[in-house]
Amino acid sequence: MTTLIEGIDICLTRQERTILSNVSLKIDSGDFITLIGPNGAGKSMLLKTLLGLIKPDSGRVIRKDGLRIGFVPESLNIDPTLPLSVQRFLTLNANKDELDDEIIAETNITDLLDRQMTNLSGGERQRVLLARALHANPEILILDEPAQNLDMSGQLNLYALMEKIFELRKIAILMVSHDLHLVMSSTQKVVCLYEHICCSGEPQAVAKDPEFISLFGQDMARLLSVYPHAHDHSHDHDHEHDHNHNVAKENEHHHG
Amino acid sequence: MDNFLIAILAGAALASLAAPLGCFVIWRRMAYFGDGLSHSALLGVAFSMAFNIASEIAILIVGIGFAAFLVFLQSRRILATDTLLGLLAHATLAIGILAMSLLGADHIDMHDYLLGSVASITPDNAIYIIITSLICLMGLIKLWPGLLLMVTSEDLAQAEGVNVRYHEAALMIAMALLVAASIQLVGILLITSLLIIPASCARLVSKSPESMALTAGLMGMSCVVIGMLVSRETSLDPGPVIVAIMVCLFIGLLSLRLISGKPKV
Repeated sequence: MTTLIEGIDICLTRQERTILSNVSLKIDSGDFITLIGPNGAGKSMLLKTLLGLIKPDSGRVIRKDGLRIGFVPESLNIDPTLPLSVQRFLTLNANKDELDDEIIAETNITDLLDRQMTNLSGGERQRVLLARALHANPEILILDEPAQNLDMSGQLNLYALMEKIFELRKIAILMVSHDLHLVMSSTQKVVCLYEHICCSGEPQAVAKDPEFISLFGQDMARLLSVYPHAHDHSHDHDHEHDHNHNVAKENEHHHG
Repeated sequence: MDNFLIAILAGAALASLAAPLGCFVIWRRMAYFGDGLSHSALLGVAFSMAFNIASEIAILIVGIGFAAFLVFLQSRRILATDTLLGLLAHATLAIGILAMSLLGADHIDMHDYLLGSVASITPDNAIYIIITSLICLMGLIKLWPGLLLMVTSEDLAQAEGVNVRYHEAALMIAMALLVAASIQLVGILLITSLLIIPASCARLVSKSPESMALTAGLMGMSCVVIGMLVSRETSLDPGPVIVAIMVCLFIGLLSLRLISGKPKV
């Protein structure tokens, strides 16, 4: 297993407000990690720091040499005055002009290719963005709130598609989400962020973590434990706490 | 070569740059930025008179200063961007007019700067305009894919290796150069039209970003050339004549579109 991206002790301050404090997070090949946390917890900022879009005030981000990243941004901001077909968007600024039929079929966008980008529904737009990210032949997919603005069935479809991609293509996935119930039933590892990493691990374990409960409330934790996870393990454990978690360490803790 | 002929060539070159640049202006909703930038040009003219430097250079420096100051104020989040733009535009225009009056510029000078004057374009000016336009146009073509991706999402562009700051700065400098080059032709008050009206016309008939830029370029060039000819025959100010012709084209295309029953683009 290779480490794709590792953030070490990342600190970030904006306008005298602490956004991230001593966050360490490691993503290996084969990981499917979801970052959760309340609004304003710094999830998107952490993602952008790991991508290299933002420079942390202190700490380091190490990316594997020549790492191919497929990025799905939170939203597109296309003005209706820009005439841009889906086909053109997919090849925009890319090295090659041909589309990969397999990806087009997998993301189910064959019928959308001639449509204008500004005429797509939320779910269609996400599938197009996913297809664009996959065209980079990525080793890791990074998604910022991909299910935002989708209705319930749209969310379910998108998560099902991402699971399919994860299984089929063996691409590591790191995404930000606040659709807790969906995350809990589909993702493999959850990292709960609020300025620092509060807790991390398998969804079932995280849902029982005292810090998680204090962040999201007892009701939410109880609600989540109703959703059984596909890889549910029987072992229960107490969770140690310090505010300087290392996810890699936690990983061993769970599976070792 | 005939002075007027070379002035027409300069006008056409200017329009060929303004149109694709104008596409980005409307895609990125920067119309007020273009307007503010052109208002600041009068301050540049005043500087060029006070310090005896070429007006093109003075206008460029003031324009870049205007953009940098705007970006600085935006980052402080004191006021909304449209308010800041209105404030800066009128401040530079007012100070520019005062400075020019104090420096002894008379009414005729001011009138030419505000509304354009083909007669004031010397062959040297014209050659400068043509060279500047062609260089900017080549730069724009080179940066085109990155700029286009940036229009869809800055995060996406940056994540895919586009240097967003560099592209943004290039766009602003191209606009400042365009403003400096087009004052004599259309005047400060109407420069934004040269950017946004051909692009708006082209939007009504285009299906891809490239065809929109190309169509806008051709439409802009035709309107400028026709406008300059009409201005010479009638001795009306060239700026208002060119803008009026562009507006007629826009109304015509829009009417055709409405009649053909496709109101939505």
